[in-house]
Amino acid sequence: MCASLPTLAEPNHFSLLERFLFLALAAASAYGFWRRFGPIFNKILHSKKDPGFSLAPIGRRVGDFVWEVVLQARVISQRPLAGIAHALVFWAFCAFALVTLNHCAAALGLGFLSPEGWAGQFYFYFAAIFAVACAIGILGLFIRRFVIRPKWLGKTSPESGVIAMLIFALMATYLAAFYVPGSGFAGQALWWAHTLVLLAFLPLIPHTKHLHLLLSPFTIFLSRGSFSNIPPLSGDEDFGLVTGRDLTQIVSLQAYSCVECGRCTEHCPANNTGKELNPKEIVLGVRAYLNDLGPQSEQPLLGKYNSQKAAFECTTCGACEFQCPVGIEHLPILVGLRRGAVNTGEWEDSHGAKLFLALERGSNALGLPATERDKFIEKNALPIYDGTQEYCLWLGCMGAYDPRGREIVVSLVQVMRHLGVTFGVLRKEKCTGDPVRRLGNDLLFQQLAESNLEALAQSKTKKILSICPHCVRTIQEDWKEFGTPPEVEHHSEFLARHLPELNRVSGHDLSHAENTEKSVGALAPAAPTKEKIVFHDPCYLGRYRNVYDQPRDVVASAGELVEAPRHRERSFCCGAGGGLAFLGEETGERVSHVRAAELVATGATTVAAACPFCNTMFRDALAAQGNNAPQLVDIAQLAARNLPRESN
Amino acid sequence: MKIIVAIKQVPERDAPVRIASNHKSIDEADLNWAMNEPDAYALEEALQLKEKNGGEVIVLSAGPERVGSTIREALAKGADRAIHVLCDDLGSRDALGAAKLLAEAIKPENPDLVLTGLQSEDLGLGQTGVIVAELLGLPHSTLIVQVEKTDAGLKVKRELEEGWFQHIELPLPAVLTIQSGGNKLRYATLMGIKRAKMKEVRAVSAADLGPAGAPVLTLENISLPSKQKSTQILPGNAKEAAAALVEKLKFEARVL
Repeated sequence: MCASLPTLAEPNHFSLLERFLFLALAAASAYGFWRRFGPIFNKILHSKKDPGFSLAPIGRRVGDFVWEVVLQARVISQRPLAGIAHALVFWAFCAFALVTLNHCAAALGLGFLSPEGWAGQFYFYFAAIFAVACAIGILGLFIRRFVIRPKWLGKTSPESGVIAMLIFALMATYLAAFYVPGSGFAGQALWWAHTLVLLAFLPLIPHTKHLHLLLSPFTIFLSRGSFSNIPPLSGDEDFGLVTGRDLTQIVSLQAYSCVECGRCTEHCPANNTGKELNPKEIVLGVRAYLNDLGPQSEQPLLGKYNSQKAAFECTTCGACEFQCPVGIEHLPILVGLRRGAVNTGEWEDSHGAKLFLALERGSNALGLPATERDKFIEKNALPIYDGTQEYCLWLGCMGAYDPRGREIVVSLVQVMRHLGVTFGVLRKEKCTGDPVRRLGNDLLFQQLAESNLEALAQSKTKKILSICPHCVRTIQEDWKEFGTPPEVEHHSEFLARHLPELNRVSGHDLSHAENTEKSVGALAPAAPTKEKIVFHDPCYLGRYRNVYDQPRDVVASAGELVEAPRHRERSFCCGAGGGLAFLGEETGERVSHVRAAELVATGATTVAAACPFCNTMFRDALAAQGNNAPQLVDIAQLAARNLPRESN
Repeated sequence: MKIIVAIKQVPERDAPVRIASNHKSIDEADLNWAMNEPDAYALEEALQLKEKNGGEVIVLSAGPERVGSTIREALAKGADRAIHVLCDDLGSRDALGAAKLLAEAIKPENPDLVLTGLQSEDLGLGQTGVIVAELLGLPHSTLIVQVEKTDAGLKVKRELEEGWFQHIELPLPAVLTIQSGGNKLRYATLMGIKRAKMKEVRAVSAADLGPAGAPVLTLENISLPSKQKSTQILPGNAKEAAAALVEKLKFEARVL
């Protein structure tokens, strides 16, 4: 190291009294820490085991850990400025682990890093860089929390101010030690100042949301592994989250990991339209329950600690879960609370009961006679799937019974016929169970899943194609609990794959089609008269299935793609998900109206959807926007409209 | 209050109904079965009476093994126990024959109230409940949309034609046939289904309840309704066509 640089003053001579004092204070600090953390640890440990949980595949867990914890990627990507400030503090903490260990060991004469030694000198400078970064980061976070005060943080607690100052003091006392003589009073005083701050910090951790710095690495490592992963029920007495006894170790760990940053609430469509639901408060409600009553309590989870009304306002759009920086999985908790209320009959809602009865007695969520589906099949001469065709075209409730949904199916059929892709529909089909799954009716969901799986097995279906992201998700992921579903694909994926053929025939030039395949953003507008089309990402296609580019490719080959301010991973829900399309009036503003206004504000003349539920929500919401409202189409209709007529 | 609800299992509403080769019944091969809807309302009424006044709700159903699924559904929704009259020949019995079975099964229970749907969705005779009342020697009332327990017995609301209702009082024990739509049905729950497994279902064979006896009514032949579209173009100018239309609406369609 360069000789002109200052050397860290790390005292290595401590009197017996000093050693005794240090040990006593360290023990007190550790005791203060455990007095609070012990009960929390025990509550997590004594929560119910998670049914269906497995550590494998470990590779994915390590990958998530590196990406989300070590690299802080999610923290940064979802809130860049605050995220980077946080990452600086986090990385400094990691770098300081060795410094702090040495710092404490020094008091006992066991210091292993010497400021004079090569390794020590290197590491102390290395840590010093992080100390500077950390001091800047924590200062930034302090200013954000106490001066800028974003509303999503909620009420600012004085503890976070104290914690920020302690962290700043830790860094200041460390850096200051570079500017005092190697031995003497000043060095000794700084050592003690640093130590006292450290020992004061430790017991504060489990008292505040800073508990996340201990727990969230575990939370992220022990996640359920996939988005909105609803765990199976275990045994005859498991009805979902009813009482404390139903809280699993993962749920409890997540509840104590919440850092109260409010990102979940910031993106929640229910909360943003004036409803009671606040995903952060749901998590904190579970935490408060655990604090007051513990995981063995028979008290209901819904009531004092969380509101049933709020739980049933969730559209399951998953914006909360998607961006949670500490790995909390909100959907299994929200759906779990609903399961608890529905499976025990506690939830009373006339619209909900109507939906359940329609599916108990009939085949579809719209409550229409199955003969309506037969008529639609007959009218459009849709072939019956017999195992020889390439695709089993899954109509779904909307595709088979809803007039707009039927138009989407007809367009897709037109495209498939044009391409010469063979397909057939099932003679009988029931609702996949998506709305009842999300509303927490496990009895109906199981019946529907099993009945459909049996029908598909009998027809020897290998590949399903569907216009509905909800069907696709439910078939592919949720049915797994009851059997092995066939391969399933959303029509956006199918259409994007066949775009080159479609564009060739519909008179587009080929180079243009190739362009669209590569990148949407780079697509140059080919003709000045191009129609401006805004694409709305359906939650169940985007966040649930990670399909963003394919529908955009389809849109871009039909017109000029424009983006709404909230798009792709950040897309704002249409309001239909989670079974809410079938429930009654919303309180506050309508989610669909807020989103429709946002789509209209892009100046697009056409709104393209890729989900029949989004479609039906926007049909009404756009009509409310007045006469100049853009037209509403599905991407299948965009793909079909330039086809030659004879292929109709 | 001890309430017995008589329930029938009928083909699901969307079921593809095909006439059996004997032309006297329907082909049961591809059928799915469900609880007769008016009976579902009778069950709901019974459960609500029990919730308000306490007591016991017993489900009674006659039919082959398959009826068990409908009985379990009723238990899942909250009935306390069930009696299953096992009989494979329900289809060949007339309303009197079916009512005899039910009445014999009801007698030893001495219930305070017997409820059933006003008619079945498959045959639609609307007689079984009334005959049961006669066989038990109990007062009855039909087409009930509302039931209230009073000190003296029951206050009920009957549906008449054209939006009229009749309010009557009757003593207990009694038999009521329930109209659909009076209450909101509850949905089946997972907890209900699990609890239902532990509830008692007593099987009684039809033979033990007395001889079947010769039916008073015999079924000769059944057929599917034939669809007819008869569009007529009325000739003449507007005035003549309108006059002809009024004529037809009055005397052919009889809607005016």
